[in-house]
Amino acid sequence: MRSRPDSPTLAELQSRFASALRAGNATVDEAVSGLADCIVDDGLAPARRVQVYRNNARAMFEGALERTYPVLKHQVGEAAFSGFAREYRAEHPSRSGDLHWVGRKFASWLAPRVAGSSSAWLADLARLEWACEEALVAARLEALDPAELGRVAPEILAEVGFELQPCLRTVDSLFPIWSAWRGGQAESSGEPLDLGLGPQQVVVTCGEHGLVLHSLPADEFRFVAAIGGGAPLGTALESAGLDVEQLPRVLAWLFGDGLVTALRLPANDDRGGGGTC
Amino acid sequence: MGDVAPTRFPRGPIPARAGIGLRSAHHEDVVARHPPVAWLEVHTENYFHDGGPHCAALERIREHYPLSLHGVGLGLGSVEPLDRVHLARVRRAVEHFDPALVSEHACWGHAGGEHFNDLLPLPYTEEAAEHLASRVRQVQDFLGRQILVENLSSYFAYSASSLTEWDFLAAVVERSGCGLLLDVNNIYVNSRNLGLDAERFIAGVPGDAVQEIHLAGHRRNRVGERDLLIDDHGSEVCTEVWALYERALARLGPVPTLIEWDTDVPALDVLVSEARKADACLERIRALAA
Repeated sequence: MRSRPDSPTLAELQSRFASALRAGNATVDEAVSGLADCIVDDGLAPARRVQVYRNNARAMFEGALERTYPVLKHQVGEAAFSGFAREYRAEHPSRSGDLHWVGRKFASWLAPRVAGSSSAWLADLARLEWACEEALVAARLEALDPAELGRVAPEILAEVGFELQPCLRTVDSLFPIWSAWRGGQAESSGEPLDLGLGPQQVVVTCGEHGLVLHSLPADEFRFVAAIGGGAPLGTALESAGLDVEQLPRVLAWLFGDGLVTALRLPANDDRGGGGTC
Repeated sequence: MGDVAPTRFPRGPIPARAGIGLRSAHHEDVVARHPPVAWLEVHTENYFHDGGPHCAALERIREHYPLSLHGVGLGLGSVEPLDRVHLARVRRAVEHFDPALVSEHACWGHAGGEHFNDLLPLPYTEEAAEHLASRVRQVQDFLGRQILVENLSSYFAYSASSLTEWDFLAAVVERSGCGLLLDVNNIYVNSRNLGLDAERFIAGVPGDAVQEIHLAGHRRNRVGERDLLIDDHGSEVCTEVWALYERALARLGPVPTLIEWDTDVPALDVLVSEARKADACLERIRALAA
């Protein structure tokens, strides 16, 4: 076989093929117009052959988005989700050979589209599902022995910081996203979301067997978020407005679930100072 | 993914027996039952991460099975530069799981900064062969090891192609030093979709380079007056592909063979049953050679 002397270069071919794949809502004949001459026509129109690849590209992207946002898809229905996926892909096409990350900007893309409507909570549900996606692939380090906290001198306890698991995420919302998430599970009864349930806050972690979601009261959530953000214990308590009497229970949960991986001791600590244990 | 010394896992080559593609739906089952298959293959990109239950499951499974890492996202033949971040993640997965084989595809996948996340065909030209070979060399240099390159299923042929597909692959092998992963289902799909001569493909491929075979199912789509076979890895291997596989083994001798099943993934036992069929073919070839 010999190639024609006027054959396009490899770069030109890939450019034309790429145009055919990304041609959004154009008809397949329009999309393929630059590539059709480069395809052997053996009786089956090149456009119909290229359509297989157009379908694949759309399906791969949409499939990845569905795997990241199954609850949102369940809540809005297949047709609406497919429409979201098409529009989102046009604005945020895949930038990696690893499809895992294509949904990274979906929540922020969705937010202005649903803002001010009765569906505004969907954007926060998307944030929660993205937090789940991140937690599912993040490291889980060895948990700190709770006895380490008992060894800290009481007078410096308020200055101690906590390193939390890399797989821990916090998501708060003005909407009942915990209820939305639970209501969107495959086994749920499908009752409409009661927005009257008000703001909800969720901590997402991942263990050996998968995701674990905790719905926390607002003050406990603020405390965990502050601790996770690097605030020392005393500052976190104060900024969260958490009653000190609730602290043992929250700490028991954090340590009991293995969510604390190290303590950050204040710089002037007698035990070496400024380090972690 | 933590830093784990590769010596944690058993070493050695993939045996010339049947393995199965491991999907996350079967992680628990494989951990619990250790099904009787000789080896496993996973998509490299599914284990790029710092941690999580999937990586943890593969670590446990890897202690009991030889492993092959099969990439689907590098887009080796793309004219745009290789994604160095992606490539670094491949290397990290290779260092972590210490696979016996590492493979990718003879395809392209990205242009204009956009990834299409599909295995897009290359024209079979001198230019494309040289380009693909140079990219394979880059990857092999970066990973410090040989990779296998897999032939594609295609839904059209380029009028610019000046080489047969098997001569194209032979050129890439010769110029890069890579091995070949021969997908027999893809040969069959191309023979039906493009009129490619499957027997000549089997006869023409550089046999010494073939270190792995893939078998999978496809589906049949009616397009106008024609059938177009879609390589969806969503069903059992068809009779015609089993026959072509036997002819490939007759030429190549026993080669590690993988049952791929990526969509509508069935119960693990179905995959194990398909692997038994492949093992029976391999046994017959050994018996003939004895």
